[in-house]
Amino acid sequence: MLEFMDYVQTAFLAQSRWNIDNSYASLTTTAHHLLDFHIPQGLRLHVSSLSSPRFATSYTLGSRGVVDGSLSFLYSSAGLSIASTSRSVHLESVVRGYRHLQELQRPDERHWNEIWHAGRRVDRKDALLYGRLYLPTSTLEALYLRRISPTRLLRLNCVSDGALPNGGSVLALLQNDYGKYSTEYLYSTDSALLGLRGLYNFGYDPRVPYHQPSARLPAHPWDHQSGRLSAGAEAYFSPVNKSGGVSCGLRFTTLPTHTGFPYTMTLTVNPLMGNLSSTYAVKAGRNLALCSRFDFNVYSYESDVVVGMELWQRKQASVDVAWASKLVRPGWSKVVEDDVNGVLKAQMDNNGKVGLLWECRIKELLVSLGAAFDLKKRERMLGSVGVEVSYSS
Amino acid sequence: MAFNFNWSPLIADTDRVRDMLTSSLNKSPKPPIIVDDIIVNELNLGSTPPELEILEIGDLAEDRFRGIFKMSYTGDAYLTLKTRVQANPLNTYLSTKPSFASPQPLAASSGLTIPLQITLSDIRLSGFVILVFSKQKGITLVFRNDPLESLKVSSTFDSIPFVRDYLQKTIESQLRVLFMEDLPAIIHRLSLRMFSPEYQTAENQERSKAVADGEVPVDPFAGPAQQPVDSAGMPLDGSAPFTLDAPTETYASFSQKNLLRLATLTESQRTLSLFTPGMRDTVYRAWASAADREVANDASTPMLSRPPTLSRIQSTLGSQSGWSSAASQTSDVPSTATRPSLASFASAPTVYSLSSGAPRTRPGRKRKNRVVNLRKDKGDGKDVSETASVSSSGYTASASGSAGPSVEAATGPSSLSNTQILREGEINTPPRSPKKKVGFQQQSVDDSARPQRNDSTIRGRPVTPQTRHSSHMQAADDNDDTPRASMILPEKPTEVEEKRPRRPQRQPLPRMQTLQERPRPAQLNRSSSSEVSLQNLATSAFAGEGSNGGILEQAWMMKMATEIAKRVSDEKGKQQAWRPAEGNEGFDGGEAPPAYVS
Repeated sequence: MLEFMDYVQTAFLAQSRWNIDNSYASLTTTAHHLLDFHIPQGLRLHVSSLSSPRFATSYTLGSRGVVDGSLSFLYSSAGLSIASTSRSVHLESVVRGYRHLQELQRPDERHWNEIWHAGRRVDRKDALLYGRLYLPTSTLEALYLRRISPTRLLRLNCVSDGALPNGGSVLALLQNDYGKYSTEYLYSTDSALLGLRGLYNFGYDPRVPYHQPSARLPAHPWDHQSGRLSAGAEAYFSPVNKSGGVSCGLRFTTLPTHTGFPYTMTLTVNPLMGNLSSTYAVKAGRNLALCSRFDFNVYSYESDVVVGMELWQRKQASVDVAWASKLVRPGWSKVVEDDVNGVLKAQMDNNGKVGLLWECRIKELLVSLGAAFDLKKRERMLGSVGVEVSYSS
Repeated sequence: MAFNFNWSPLIADTDRVRDMLTSSLNKSPKPPIIVDDIIVNELNLGSTPPELEILEIGDLAEDRFRGIFKMSYTGDAYLTLKTRVQANPLNTYLSTKPSFASPQPLAASSGLTIPLQITLSDIRLSGFVILVFSKQKGITLVFRNDPLESLKVSSTFDSIPFVRDYLQKTIESQLRVLFMEDLPAIIHRLSLRMFSPEYQTAENQERSKAVADGEVPVDPFAGPAQQPVDSAGMPLDGSAPFTLDAPTETYASFSQKNLLRLATLTESQRTLSLFTPGMRDTVYRAWASAADREVANDASTPMLSRPPTLSRIQSTLGSQSGWSSAASQTSDVPSTATRPSLASFASAPTVYSLSSGAPRTRPGRKRKNRVVNLRKDKGDGKDVSETASVSSSGYTASASGSAGPSVEAATGPSSLSNTQILREGEINTPPRSPKKKVGFQQQSVDDSARPQRNDSTIRGRPVTPQTRHSSHMQAADDNDDTPRASMILPEKPTEVEEKRPRRPQRQPLPRMQTLQERPRPAQLNRSSSSEVSLQNLATSAFAGEGSNGGILEQAWMMKMATEIAKRVSDEKGKQQAWRPAEGNEGFDGGEAPPAYVS
């Protein structure tokens, strides 16, 4: 389940029309959500509030052996109009599951956001500030997001911790999203790591206005009408460590115009380390998504298989109004009623590790209940159990 | 003195050491480059044992030992480790960083693990080892300096010079940590497993078997006596052919410096001074261990065929309840030993009520052999007797049993013919809670001949009990004029010398005594006598204040006196159930004494 602050950040990016999916870093988002979901450990309480459209606070108290906690504050220059109370927030927006990619959008023109008043530009660029202090470790996290231009986002992540060398580190990330392709440049002060990421989408170019997705001819054989093929690569280099890393990847995913069941396939390769990883995720129904991942290393012949699923439990329509809802025109109830009771996620790998997560809303609380098992350890099969309870107003 | 240093069983039994080493290597947080458990694949201690040179022995007893060795090892031991390492530098780099500011690469950080085998050989060690052995606390072995001189590391990556150098450097530094920190812990655990009762199994009877480095000293006194000695520490006449080591060697091993320090310590404890001389690597112990008591009673219990609880009572009350009583044992021995018939007759009526039979039942116990007398000499105890005379109004007979053996010897037979009863107050005082038990003894001694000693135990002050006491041989051998508190009368050795021939006649007597010595009335007598001496105790305490007391001390004395009075009245109240209760208490008190490390 998304933490409240992540939920607000996601809302900020959506409000400022930033497509978080058009990046090489999010190439395997679907598989990540379905297979590597976070399993809570111990007891954790979140109390959060979006006290004004621009300001949010959140407090976390956890007990995992020792009591710890965190305080976080967020300021957004753009007013956010989202459902913030835990009673009204949509479970679909806080539970991350199969990721439906939307049709690429043409980037906004620069002048669209300009606001002129008395001969002067008065519009401001959207920005977000976020800080979080962990106790008792006194670790401070800070995040600065700024939409420099319609195609550009600057992100600064800072961590201050006495345990780290130099007392902390800063990661600067500049993202460009031109629709057809996107690039990212990053720099980390920690051992001066430099990075570069790029993603290219084959086929439809949103910048060419007359190309309508449905009414065009395939430009080339892999120009799938109702899907999108993307290719990307990343490279990192640290001049201090004289070390680096490279990977490249492919993704094919169906678009909403696809008539069959949605699916996503990815293949990532690390040529230096000989690592191959392929994922396949399918949304088998409205309530069910399945995913699998195969890892293989051509040098060490190590392999790994993980399978996972998510199951959405929805409320049964009450018998009294069932006949009425059937009679309603299909497009009429556009307002999505949150009819989700809960979500069950499960994953298992070939080493006998099993993870289970149940996320639901109980009255006004969002609860996620998780457990990790290790089937190979006969005597201590239950690895960890945890509950996270969130309340927001 | 010699150490029985058995290397060959160590070579044979390396499985346990290997397991321990494996667990210890995996316990500490490993560098992120190591992704799997480190498994000790092969461990061979080689055929060449390390060379040990004894530099200093600070403490020596049946159940404890402390010494400093110089160790050097140039043997052919080797060790093979197996683990797996992460070959992707980005993976190891990111695993140590906080995820919030991590670039979170998609696949560039995917891991590649490579199995790695490392062989450590040609180990050269040289260093100073401090070894502390105690039956309760096991063996503590500390390297005073970094013992690792050189080492050869060979691994799977020997063909890559960069990796080889890196491994050599890393492993050397890790091994230094292992020697300085982990190895002492391993040895300590191993020794605990061997010595502590819950771990003790049949196979652990051979003690120093599986300790990795094998620097476990075989306590020379744990084995059979190398030389038959009588209770006074005198070698028996006919024992010359059996002598393996002359006892003088034992005495020579006591460092004069340490003796001086110990003397200062006892001096400071005799008064209420809070000063404690700084002694490095020293364990201050409260009293003799429970095991020691058991041993002490071993001689008497079998033939008495008494239930073990009773013998425990005996041990806690009479024999080793406090340091002063322990002193009295040693002091008793020469007199009874040297004048067997007289002693048994003259002191019988009182001695029976004393339950001080334990020392008597230990003729020939070898530990007398190595005791050091730190007590004040009669000569320099003159001022002590002066202060004692201050308090002597209500407590004339306040001399404790610690009146040295030399005194006993000096007073001669006449003192024994005199049946004047001396009350001897002794407060069994565990170091933490100064209100544990009160026991009182009576002894027939010539009062006038005894030095009046203002013994600190009378005040019930918590003291560090000393169970090892003066030896007469010490004086004979000791030509050194190191200032110390031993009180050896010059004439004493000769006197003991002339008594020696009579020893064999005496042998059967103590057994008979111990049989008679523990009837129930004896206990009753004792507690009543304690009542009598209680007032004396309080008054003497206050009288002592006049000479050297502060307000705080006075208050403390008051408290102690009332505390003791309460104790005694309690004991009196439950006199019927007194024995079992005392037995239990003695049992509880028989746990390992707390040790204070300065």
